[in-house]
Amino acid sequence: MNHVVGISEMKISNKPGDVLVTYSLGSCVGLSLYDPVAGVGALLHSMLPLSKIDRAKAEARPFMFVDTGVPQMLQTVFDFGAQRSRLIANVAGCASLLDDKKLFKIGERNYTVLRKILWKNNILIAAEDVGGTISRTMHVYMADGRTTIKSGGKERELV
Amino acid sequence: MSLREVIISATRKVPAIPTAAARVSTVLQDPDVNISALSRAIEHDPALAANVLRIANSIYFSGPRTVGTIKEAIMRLGTSRVFGLTLASAIAPVAGVAIKGYDLKPGELWQHSVSSAVCVDQLIETLALEAPKYTFTAALLHDIGKIVLGTFVEVDAAPIMDLAFKEGMPFEEAEMRVLGISHPEVGAILLENWNLPKIVVDAVRWHQQPDEYEGDTDQMIIDLVHAADALSLIGGIGTGSDGLNYRVSKVVADRLGLNNAIAETVVMKMLDGLEEVKELFGEDWGR
Repeated sequence: MNHVVGISEMKISNKPGDVLVTYSLGSCVGLSLYDPVAGVGALLHSMLPLSKIDRAKAEARPFMFVDTGVPQMLQTVFDFGAQRSRLIANVAGCASLLDDKKLFKIGERNYTVLRKILWKNNILIAAEDVGGTISRTMHVYMADGRTTIKSGGKERELV
Repeated sequence: MSLREVIISATRKVPAIPTAAARVSTVLQDPDVNISALSRAIEHDPALAANVLRIANSIYFSGPRTVGTIKEAIMRLGTSRVFGLTLASAIAPVAGVAIKGYDLKPGELWQHSVSSAVCVDQLIETLALEAPKYTFTAALLHDIGKIVLGTFVEVDAAPIMDLAFKEGMPFEEAEMRVLGISHPEVGAILLENWNLPKIVVDAVRWHQQPDEYEGDTDQMIIDLVHAADALSLIGGIGTGSDGLNYRVSKVVADRLGLNNAIAETVVMKMLDGLEEVKELFGEDWGR
């Protein structure tokens, strides 16, 4: 079954037949975590880097922000039996406009904050497809953790 | 006929907006417009009236109090907003189709339109601007030219995408190079055919080249549509094969007083606004 992860949402599964999908990642960041032994996987779609711009919002919708969404996602996968040392992390999104003056840095900042939080949590990024000016759709197949990125009508595996 | 001429003639193939919506447009362009005449024009089409009421009653537009009549809707929301809602209701079926040439699934262009319109509202509020009339409408219609290019002409996007992504050319310039016309220009021609106000036509025509406009239309509407489009793309709402491959203008950002911190706030508010305006999207917006 396909489970759609909307903007500022996170979904988790441990059913091999499930596919987690999030559409049109612009400057937003998509993070997938998968534990092949526990068969647990999750997909997060965060829109903004830091929750300090609206703490109340972060309380209500923690997955909107990278700094509140990632810790909560980690807690959820651990609650489902995943182990930190086995987690495979894949990242996509963080695109930007053609913006040589760097007016809007949301994509770049999402990526920086994400890397920092994963690093603090001792999780290495296994594969990523980030930056540029493309919009991406991310699929995570629960059967084997395979993660694909679709953009401009073409789909490729993230390895 | 050149490709450009083929495309321009294809704007005639797009179904005209319903008579009632066209009448609303005409009524509103009368400087002495009165609320009764406007509500009559809307009520003339019961389906349109029902839609306007339904949308006006979404949390986003009306808050907790229910609006029962078109007259109340106009008094609550103002004529300019009602015009936007009327057009929204009228073009939703056209904008809701898949746009093949741009790899947009059914509803995605519509989502991008609505998110840009919601975003323009949030920009105006956050930056405390006195925005020109019809700014919401122009934001809603800014990419309507893609319907013509992607559906009625079904352009082959491959050479456009090569220029855009391999050579880093802004998408509308790549369209211009390959097709002899860009989607903002096509959209403006379409809206001119529909007799929409010149300020809306100009905002749609120049939203990707705001620095190049030389005319007497209020520059602020062009700037606001440019910025709202940019932030809506950053949010990834209804983005197609063109992705985020558009240039953002520093001149516009400076004129509006827009920086990264404000942009983050506006993007957040846009997402909230979209939650409240789900009625415009149908079931599965953002999907």
